[in-house]
This record gives sequence, structure tokens and C-alpha cells, in this order.
Amino acid sequence: MQPAILAEGLKKRFGPVEAVRGVSFAVRPGEIFAFLGPNGAGKTTTVHMLTTLLRPSAGRAEVAGFDVVRAPTEVRRRIGVVFQDPSLDRELTARENLYIHGRIYGLGGAALRAKIDEVLDLVELRAAADQPVKQFSGGMRRRLELARALVHRPRVLFLDEPTLGLDPQTRAHVWDYIRRMKAEAGLTLFLTTHYMDEAEQLADRVAIIDRGTIVALGTVAELVRRIGGELLYLRLEGGAGCRPLPGVQSCRELPDGRLLLEVEDAASALPRVLEALLAAGIRAREVTLRRPTLNDVFIRLTGRELRDELTRPGATAWMRRR
Amino acid sequence: MQAFSVMFYRQVLRFFRARARVVAMIVNPLIWLLFFGLGWSRVFQSPMARMIFGGVDYLTFLAPGIFAMTLFSQSFIGGVSVIWDKQFGFLKEILVAPAPRSASIAGRIVGDATLVTLQGLVVLLLTFPLAHALRPAGLLPSLFLGFLMALAFAGLGTALALKMESLEGFQMFMMILILPLTFLSGAIYPIAAMPGWMQALAYANPLTYAVDGARHYLVGEAAARFSLALDWGLLLLLGLGFLLLAVLAFRRATLEG
Repeated sequence: MQPAILAEGLKKRFGPVEAVRGVSFAVRPGEIFAFLGPNGAGKTTTVHMLTTLLRPSAGRAEVAGFDVVRAPTEVRRRIGVVFQDPSLDRELTARENLYIHGRIYGLGGAALRAKIDEVLDLVELRAAADQPVKQFSGGMRRRLELARALVHRPRVLFLDEPTLGLDPQTRAHVWDYIRRMKAEAGLTLFLTTHYMDEAEQLADRVAIIDRGTIVALGTVAELVRRIGGELLYLRLEGGAGCRPLPGVQSCRELPDGRLLLEVEDAASALPRVLEALLAAGIRAREVTLRRPTLNDVFIRLTGRELRDELTRPGATAWMRRR
Repeated sequence: MQAFSVMFYRQVLRFFRARARVVAMIVNPLIWLLFFGLGWSRVFQSPMARMIFGGVDYLTFLAPGIFAMTLFSQSFIGGVSVIWDKQFGFLKEILVAPAPRSASIAGRIVGDATLVTLQGLVVLLLTFPLAHALRPAGLLPSLFLGFLMALAFAGLGTALALKMESLEGFQMFMMILILPLTFLSGAIYPIAAMPGWMQALAYANPLTYAVDGARHYLVGEAAARFSLALDWGLLLLLGLGFLLLAVLAFRRATLEG
């Protein structure tokens, strides 16, 4: 089967800076593929190359079967894009924005009007359809952008940080819309995010990208399985560091002073670890037990945190769902 | 062609949404005509002065100049909307669309030029009661000529705006260009009265030919300095030339600048 998106050794250089350092991957038709990585990892640059807005410095890419450099118009016909930054006409109403979009993509007449109502219903903006976009909240604007990207029935939809800056409820809403969009036959989604919960919630497969290269690629379950066991976070009295402990596969000191221990089975390892520490005269001040997440995969692969997830709104919601 | 018409349509929608701009565009030329024109027309009542202004009163002399000046400044300022589109991101929506870029940018420029010409019509209609000597028959050809000039400056403004990142940069260009080009066009005083070096600059100024053509039609042949063929020819050339310039600039536009 022909991939919906194919990238081979894709590179982008801005002057002396290599923003994307040769990424290769294939996205299957109908799947949600997520690029997960911190800010500045090269996610948006990759999206811009795949959507024909930037010319790759090296490598090649195909979207919907067409080369992004040699057949940009063919690619553009088949893609929808929701950019990270807003790209609506704020002076015009939601309906006018959708109408103008449809006309630019060659649609018109009753078919366009029907499609506009359909996408407005999908993102629940029918009631606000005739208000100027400048009166919209951030969440409404993002929903309208999602709706607009669907007007011309794209085969591949690109979403660059679709929930950046949105509050938790709105994020959950947007996730719902994205799932509904996937349900539309044949639509392939490529999304970038630096929220690991977003990738976990939505993506069939995830590519973890850091400093312009893909460091891991697979389903969320596959990636998490790389960690092997379970995780213990310990804060020790006196800020004591890593030391050999029974049943612990690896130990890492986190920037916030905690230790991150990988163990086979946290429930049985924890008492033994605490006993061993006590025997060495060290008391634990704080213990957290967790199954590994994409964030842990990221730490394992790069030595850094994807984001300090515990300070992020929405993290608690994610933990409750587990 | 659909991209052309829809971008034209967008400019129209945006124009009538911006009420303040509609009011300003009518009030501004009226301020010139009333407070500048009426004032000076009392000063220039001597037969000598009438001779300098081509045998008509000063207000009649000035009216075609204000008309052309309005079209010129409004069409040039239209380039600002490209900067807004950059800052609010709408430009990306156009760049990622499959429609030919030449069609979408041309649609927007022709849309701007048409709207500006309509403004010119409003200004002229308001001018007729003030300057009685103006010829109503000159209205239509003046509008067509004005459209060509609006096309030229909307194209130039758009091409400049495409190259610029900030509103401040574009505003600087407007400040540097609009006033001198207005003074050097013969809109406010006759070119014949200028010193030689200023005349040379006036000849290089596209606005000069729009003022001259409009004066030819609205006031009479005696008030004009150049032949109509020269006015039309130059403005046609500039209109199409700057339109092409903007199209080429937009074709090459990427996110890299």
C-alpha cells in the first residue's frame, strides 16, 4: 500500500542551523501519526516541508503520492493544514472564512454551502457562524481552523500543535473532534505536539523527535515497552544521589533533585529499596510510583524531560484516566 | 479564475467591514477641498492667478488633483493589508492553497484598485457642488484613468508589503513616498510654476500623469500639460507593470521571507 506520507532523509538548514537533520518515516493511510518532541525539535519545520511551504535542503518527501518539491500543487490539492499560529481572517465571519477557503480550493454553489454547514456542525460552531472571528475565543478559533481544513475534503490532514495554549476542557473537545475527523473515511492525520498525553490519546503511532532527528518510532505501547518495567520516583533526605539498590535496573538523577528508578515490579521493589536505603542511613521523603509514559521514554532516549509534566494543566486529568 | 474572484470578493467584504476607513476616505479629501482649497481660492482670485491655474479658479484646478491624490494614497496604503495578513497568518492559508498564486494576488490588487476607484467616484460627486466649473462628462474617463493608477500603486504597495515584515517598515515607506509624490504631481500647484529640478522630479512621478489626465477631462484641455495619449500610455504601462511585479513577488514568496 502506498504510504500517505513518505519522508526520506529530509533535512532543512536555516543558515548555520540545521533544524531538521534527516528524518525518514512513512505514514500509513488512515492512521494518526504524531510527531512528539520539545519546542525547537524541528516539528513545525517538518510540517512546513511536507505542506510545500518550505523547500527541503536535502532528502525528499511524498504526500498523497506526490513529491512535495516537484508537484506542490498536486500535494496542496490533497492536504488540509491547521497551522500552529492562527491563519484566519479575523475581520470576516466564520462562514465567510469557510466560504473563501472553499472557493480558493475550487468549490462553490450548493455543494460548498452544504459542506460549510457540515463542518460547522462537526466543530459545533453553527450558532456562531455569522459572528466575526475577532469576537471568537481561542478555542473557537482553533475549532474553526479545524473545520476549515476539512472543507475541501483533504486526504491528509496536518495539525501543528492543535491544542497549544488551550485550556484543559477545550483540549479534550479538540481531541474529540480529531477522533471524529479520523472516523471520516480515508483521512490520514499527521499531528505534532509537545504534549505527551496528546500523542498517547490520539496517535496510532508516534515518532519521538529531538534536535532534528527521530529518536524512536512506534506505537505508544511499543515505545513504552522499551522502558521495560515500572518507575519509582524518590526524593531522599539530604538530596542523596544514585547508589546501587536491590531490584533496581537503572537510576537517574532528575533536575528537580528526585531519583528516577526503573524496576521490574514497583509494588515488590519499593519495600526492598526503602529498607536498603534505611540500612544506609538514608530516609525517603517522597515516593511516587508510576507506570512508564512517553515522557519516560523521552528521558531514557535523550537524558532530558520532554516537559515538566507535573506542572502542566491536564496532567492530572491524564493521570486520573489511567 | 475562482481564486481571482474570491480574493476580489474578500477585499470588498473587508472594506465594507472597516467602517472607520470608509468614513476617513470621504472625510480626508473633503478636508483638503474645503479647508485648503476654499481658503486658497480666496487668495488666488486675481486674473493673474487664474492664468497660472490654466484659466480656472483654484478650487476647480485643485479638484482633479485631490481626486488623483485620494486614489494614489488609498491604493498604496492598501498594501498594509498584506502586512496584516502576514501578522495574522492568513497569508499562509493562501500559500498552502492549490490555487495559482498569480490569480489570488491579482484578485486582491484589482479588488483594491476597484474599491479605491469607487472612493474616487464618491469624492468627485461630493466635489461637483463645490467646484462648479468641473465638467460632468469628464467623470467616467477620469475614473478609468484613476483605476489604472490605483492598479499601479496597489501593485507597488503590495509588492513592497510582501517584502516587509513589519507594519512600521511599511509606514515609513508611506511617509517617505506619499507627501513628496503628492507635492511633485502638480495636484496642488502647476508644474509650470516649479523650479527646473522639481519639474524633472515631477515628470518622473506617475501621479503627475493621473492628475494631468483627470484635469484634462474634468477641467479642459487647456488645463492639461501632457497629451492624453501620454497619460493613458504611461499609466497603462505602470498599472500592468506593478501588477506584474506584485505577482512575481508573490509567486516566489515562501515562509523564509
